[in-house]
Amino acid sequence: MRVLVVEDDEILAEQIQASLLEAGYSVDMANDGEDGHFLGDTEPYDAVILDFGLPILDGSSVLKKWRAAGKKMPVLVLTARDSWSDKVDGLDAGADDYLTKPFIVEELLARLRALIRRAAGQSSAQLECGPVLLDTRNGRVTVSGRAVKLTAQEFKLLSYMMHHTGKVISRTELTEHIYDQDFDRDSNTIEVFVNRIRKKLDSNVIQTVRGLGYRLEWDEGVA
Amino acid sequence: MRAELRHFFGTLTGRLLKSAALWSIAALAVGGLVLSLVFRSYVLSDVDNRLSLLIDSMVGVSEISPEGVIRFSRPLSDQRFMTPESGQYWQINEAGQEPFRSRSLWDFELTPDVSHRSFSLKYYETDGPDGQTLRIAERDIILPQSDRLFHFQVGTDMAEVTAAIAEFNWLLVSALGLIMVTVTTALVLQVSYGLRPLRKLGRSLIEIRTGKENRIKGDWPQDLQPLAQEINALIEQNEKLVDRARTHVGNLAHALKTPLAVIQNEVEGLSDKSAKRIYSQSKLIHEHVDHHLKRARIAGGGTGAGLPIKDRLQKIIKAVAVTTHEKDVDYQLDCPETIKFDGEKEDFDEILGNLIDNAGKWTEAKVKITAAMVTENLRRPFMEIRVEDDGPGVGSEDIDTLFERGRRLDERVPGTGLGLAIVRDIVEMYGGQAMLESVNPHGLRAVLRLPAK
Repeated sequence: MRVLVVEDDEILAEQIQASLLEAGYSVDMANDGEDGHFLGDTEPYDAVILDFGLPILDGSSVLKKWRAAGKKMPVLVLTARDSWSDKVDGLDAGADDYLTKPFIVEELLARLRALIRRAAGQSSAQLECGPVLLDTRNGRVTVSGRAVKLTAQEFKLLSYMMHHTGKVISRTELTEHIYDQDFDRDSNTIEVFVNRIRKKLDSNVIQTVRGLGYRLEWDEGVA
Repeated sequence: MRAELRHFFGTLTGRLLKSAALWSIAALAVGGLVLSLVFRSYVLSDVDNRLSLLIDSMVGVSEISPEGVIRFSRPLSDQRFMTPESGQYWQINEAGQEPFRSRSLWDFELTPDVSHRSFSLKYYETDGPDGQTLRIAERDIILPQSDRLFHFQVGTDMAEVTAAIAEFNWLLVSALGLIMVTVTTALVLQVSYGLRPLRKLGRSLIEIRTGKENRIKGDWPQDLQPLAQEINALIEQNEKLVDRARTHVGNLAHALKTPLAVIQNEVEGLSDKSAKRIYSQSKLIHEHVDHHLKRARIAGGGTGAGLPIKDRLQKIIKAVAVTTHEKDVDYQLDCPETIKFDGEKEDFDEILGNLIDNAGKWTEAKVKITAAMVTENLRRPFMEIRVEDDGPGVGSEDIDTLFERGRRLDERVPGTGLGLAIVRDIVEMYGGQAMLESVNPHGLRAVLRLPAK
């Protein structure tokens, strides 16, 4: 899952970035409204954490510009302005959730997980595909109850696929959603990761769709 | 009563009336006095003329009889000289002789002053017969064909003249009194007419204070126009000050909150004792900032157009639903399109946001929001909004304390506990009402009355 954080306070931005990385997200950072808007406009994010009080271009304008341009990614707004009017107008501008400062990063992570899940059409915190179970709350993966240890990159990849079960996902899409913008991307490595995950899961849930990409699907017959 | 009178004369109307009454009474009194004096002297000179003519005719008919006594060659034409105590008298004195008197004097004798000669006419008043006051004209005359000196006197009763003057004075006083009453009435009308714009200005100020208007509008008399402009300028300045203060408070809160978030995240989860203390204290700071920020934000005034509440309620519900999305809550809204809130959007959002959020937190499945105009005849239009949940509700003894600051009945549900106190404060600022009641079989209902447009 790739997340954009637009926050102008350096220390808070660092805290958020650290927690997000630890929780297995790819994170891009922007510290003003203009940069933030550009990134959100050009890169495919699974979610955006957007501070409303930003230099150059304020958060609510950024959000309105994205929505006007048809960008649909879920946006979690951070703000110190916690009056109900700010909340109502913020959500009216197109935010999907709202967190007022000060907040605990745990709370932010929980909201973010829920936001990404809802955007992907998943209602439970535990994503399931046949015997494979991914608990978004603690990042644990099990197959038929057996715990599986994944590297950070493997987890990101599986997590993205688990959020979009049944959907054909291209290698490019996977690259875009598991690496942050500074990463030297090579879509060939995706294939390596997929094969490793397949081995670790010891279960044939990741299917290759020739020429298009992969699909996560549990088919009793194949298994 | 005296205090009331003094109070009345202390008012602008009273002062204007008092000063106008004083000068008009003085003017009328002087005028009346002058008129009365003029009339009196006119009447007197008329009497004196008549007396002088009478003396002339007395001299004309006087002759010395062969016996050497003064007599009239023929009687004077006025019969009243023949009737006793008729009010018309004459008398002729000669030194050393019995006075020659008119019959009308009867047994009364005028007492002429013969100490020195005076050939010119003299007028004065003296007592006459039967208690009459007489106007006397007298002169010394030396009759032709003799060198004897006679003192001629003619007198007339002043009663008629005094009566005429008294009647005139009475008429004068009544006429002046009538003028006084008319003038006073006119003054009252004039003052009330003249002060009408001031009263209108007062009403305009009331409308501004109660939020029906935000500026003094309309044309004012030229001498009031500067006042109206100054008041408007003052209001504008006041608004700017309040606005600036609010912005400052907002900025301060915003500036404080990001560092607070950093501090809390830095020490959160550390088991160190001082870290825990830092965490709890920073949370306390947060609550204080929130509390004062929210109070500073309450505007409590009306807006010109009014806020259509249905659209706003829908948006608030959407905002609440986002924050309580872990639960599947059915928010039902029943609100006519036409209802408008007579106040600030921020205040409406704060009231309903808190109430609906509270309902959403506690409800099991359904939150019902209904709004309607109050049909009772009140001094201004009100709307009634009900927010009802089907949660566990609150015991009757706790219900009254819910609106108190920082009061939370269950610490497990997040919130600073300030929400309902803020709701009450804002509602009261608008002159509305906020009540909580229990719902059967369980749940809580908030009933609000807010001014409508």
